[in-house]
Amino acid sequence: MRRGVVWQLLLFTAIAAVITAVMALYPHWLPATASEQADRIGNVFWFTTIICAGIFAIVAAVLAYSLLKFRAPRDDNFETDGAPIHGHTGLEIAWTAVPFVLVTAIGIYSAIVLAQNDKVGNNPLRINVTAQQFAWSFKYPQHQDFATTTLRLPLGRTVRFHFAALDVLHSFWVPEFSQKQDTVPGIDTYLTVTPNKVGTFPIVCTELCGLGHALMRSTVVVMKQQAWQKWISSSTKQAGGGGGAGAGKAIFTEQGCGSCHTFKPAGANGKIGPDLDKLPEYAKAAGKPLDEFVHESIVDPDAYVEKGFPPNVMPKTYESLPDEQLDALVGYLTKPPEGTS
Amino acid sequence: MTHTAPAHDAHHAPASPPPRGLRRLTAAGWIRAVWMAALFFGLGAGLVCLLRWIAGWDPIWDWGPITVVGFLTAMPLGFLSGIGAFDYWVYYALGHPSRPEDHSGHGARSWKDYFRVNTDHKVIGVQYLTTVFVFFVIGGLLAMLVRAELARPGLQVTDAQGYNGFFTVHATLMIFLFIIPAFAGLANYVVPLMLGAPDMAFPRLNALSFWLLPIGGLIFVAAFFVPGGGPNSGWTCYAPLCEHNTFGNIFFNMGVQWAGASSIMTALNFLVTIITMRAPGMTFWRMPLLVWANFTTSLLVVLATPFIAASQFFVMFDRMMGMDFFNIYEGGYVLGYQHIFWFYSHPAVYIMMLPGFGIISEVIAVMARKPVFGYRLMALSLLAILVLGFSVWAHHMFVSGMAPYLRVPMMITTLLIAVPTGIKIFSWLATLWEGRIHFTTPMLWALGFLSMFVIGGLSGVFLGAVPIDIHVSDTYFIVAHIHYVLFGGAFFTIMAGVYYWFPKMTGRMYDERLGRLHFWTTFVAFNATFFPMHLIGTQGMPRRVSDYAPEFANWNLFISISSFVLGASILIFFYNMIHSWRHGPLAPGNPWRALTLEWQVTSPPPIFNFDEIPQVVGSPYEYGVPGARHALLNGARQHELEEVPR
Repeated sequence: MRRGVVWQLLLFTAIAAVITAVMALYPHWLPATASEQADRIGNVFWFTTIICAGIFAIVAAVLAYSLLKFRAPRDDNFETDGAPIHGHTGLEIAWTAVPFVLVTAIGIYSAIVLAQNDKVGNNPLRINVTAQQFAWSFKYPQHQDFATTTLRLPLGRTVRFHFAALDVLHSFWVPEFSQKQDTVPGIDTYLTVTPNKVGTFPIVCTELCGLGHALMRSTVVVMKQQAWQKWISSSTKQAGGGGGAGAGKAIFTEQGCGSCHTFKPAGANGKIGPDLDKLPEYAKAAGKPLDEFVHESIVDPDAYVEKGFPPNVMPKTYESLPDEQLDALVGYLTKPPEGTS
Repeated sequence: MTHTAPAHDAHHAPASPPPRGLRRLTAAGWIRAVWMAALFFGLGAGLVCLLRWIAGWDPIWDWGPITVVGFLTAMPLGFLSGIGAFDYWVYYALGHPSRPEDHSGHGARSWKDYFRVNTDHKVIGVQYLTTVFVFFVIGGLLAMLVRAELARPGLQVTDAQGYNGFFTVHATLMIFLFIIPAFAGLANYVVPLMLGAPDMAFPRLNALSFWLLPIGGLIFVAAFFVPGGGPNSGWTCYAPLCEHNTFGNIFFNMGVQWAGASSIMTALNFLVTIITMRAPGMTFWRMPLLVWANFTTSLLVVLATPFIAASQFFVMFDRMMGMDFFNIYEGGYVLGYQHIFWFYSHPAVYIMMLPGFGIISEVIAVMARKPVFGYRLMALSLLAILVLGFSVWAHHMFVSGMAPYLRVPMMITTLLIAVPTGIKIFSWLATLWEGRIHFTTPMLWALGFLSMFVIGGLSGVFLGAVPIDIHVSDTYFIVAHIHYVLFGGAFFTIMAGVYYWFPKMTGRMYDERLGRLHFWTTFVAFNATFFPMHLIGTQGMPRRVSDYAPEFANWNLFISISSFVLGASILIFFYNMIHSWRHGPLAPGNPWRALTLEWQVTSPPPIFNFDEIPQVVGSPYEYGVPGARHALLNGARQHELEEVPR
């Protein structure tokens, strides 16, 4: 190749590289990270971006150069041919070997980061996560099995999630943590996260899990160590008491009823299923006593489906709730709102 | 040694006279198809009722099994029998004379011949292509509905059930009823011609494989009208969700069986044709790369497609017969579904890419007037993709909860696939070097493919690296990636192929200006639609959601508007194709002065392709080599071709 061609190609590559670099650097490609794992994943992302942007710049430059330089003359109606070049062994070896080396480098770096990100350490905070249509619930087994639907984590301590799915596949993702794990019925799955930024972040279900999939959200709050300690000890104390409607309310929250149903006493405003503030009207329509109707609707949701709502949406898993919990839940749902009696 | 084409005086003789009176009811055709479909439905439903009556099950009339057996299995078989897809085999099985020299079902003399069982690979190719564009329009309109819903946060156009149905059937139609069969259609038309063969190896099987296809498509569309709602589990139909979801998911399970059977039969036909029907002198190393591409694709289809058939039978049997493959309470294993499904569906990505690679090699060599750079390495890289393609399926499952030690090996094989793919990209670039590049419409699509597929391929490298995949899995980054691969990749190559062979298929030229307008509007709108999806994906927008966080509202509105422009751009294509097919200027036999065999006959080709089987003497890409020949044809015909004015 003549030297002039090489310089021109280099110039084209430089222009393409600048454009690609602007595309890579100008938008905020990744959310502001909030975990150690996310920082490492971000490093792999940028390492790969540099390699891929380089390859893209070279391809774009050669393509643009060829299209400008090797156009057929306007009046050439397929009469003339190009140079009969059949191949070039050196080039072919080069463009087999160089990509091989580059992808191997990406692979090795990824494997190292993967191993680091799966490290649990010796004192992880264990959290048992239960996923079901369409709600997340979290338990702290090291803290008297305290249950909540809003996850709170201490800053800087490694958290080991243990996932269980009650019905179908779900997937636990906090974009700021960059870590994601499917929850699978019948299989235990795990995830490690070390939060390194205080803040409130969304928990998103990323595996299609039914009609309420888009709304299967929750929140994770990362707190300073001391604040978290204070919160967990006061929460476990409160949950120790209970009985009656308090127990019913706890079950309502724990089972995630509020993510699909509206129920004012619980402050729930889900829109997927029927409005539970109107239960007496529904019972009338179904022609059944209120408590019997509510009980039936929990254990056998398709026995009577309110007009305007599709059947087969409400999970059938609540059938397996222990009897005393079921009774507490029915009692909570059928109790007249405070102030009317 | 001279090879002559089979005796084929039949196409000079008039077709047998149309049947009259009662014979019209019993002769193969649409009338018989209708009553036989109804009859078979009755038989299927009757069988179900009989078995339920014998078993003492109540109620005897149960719509579930009757839909599966009567409507989705027996009725299509009745239709196929009625239209005549099995006639020859039935005659043969019953001991009737087998009529070896009867070519009455071969070739098209009027437009009506395109609407019956036809054994001519060229007619079947056109049948495929027109059918797939019908389903492409339906799939495209569903995509418009998806984008209309996503234009703003919250629910405006439809509800969650409607939305899940739209994206499920959109993907299903585009994959099983557009990309895969569009390539089957193009290859059906071109491969026998390129090989110097009079037809495919099994013309009747070829006809049957085509007629299976619209059955699959109609089942997917019919699913929308099932009481209780259409399929809504995504085209991946993951267990156990699809087993709990609406009954419409059964239509997905069964539609895939019909489309898959069509694919497998076509692939077997291609394999036998390519292995046994090459013209004398056509060694494997003299085959055009399009033939190589379809050879490797067919191997993939034959080996992989049974796996998706199995996965769909598993979920259907779970639902209909209580078989508990994926029911954890009875010892089922949920991840088993994903392993079996992706063992097909990852190779399926290459089933949707390799034929396109073949098209691009043809178009770039002809339009740049250069031999394909590194021909042998191009063919070998196809085989490398074939082999590696079977070892990467679990990269769809990095966050699925499968055994963690599987992730690193699957990442390595996934990243290695970038090597043969890179070889192809670099070789195409080198083919352009020092060429005489003609910016015709097919070449624009080929160059568009080259640039867009580089982006799709590189975002694939991101996804191959496990830590990045963990972050972007199931987000809009994935949606962007698959559309860069399947739209910027497969769709662009289909367009390159359709424009490139349009003169050969129709005997007329398309409108070059409209073709370029179509390319540029699609190219710009495509990038405006799909490039921002990378960004909202990495920032945190999950896929398959009808509603999303307000921070993504501006980008989604921009994407939706771009997607409507993208949808509208296809109208230019349809106008160009339909208008040019009827009124375009007559095409010469070889408007591109290409060397491959399909261009050495008239446009459209004679009914049995070659008056005399050609003798292949060299490579198909010897552009610029003085005196080089690919094949020697009947001298007189060659002389005629040269006289056709350009």
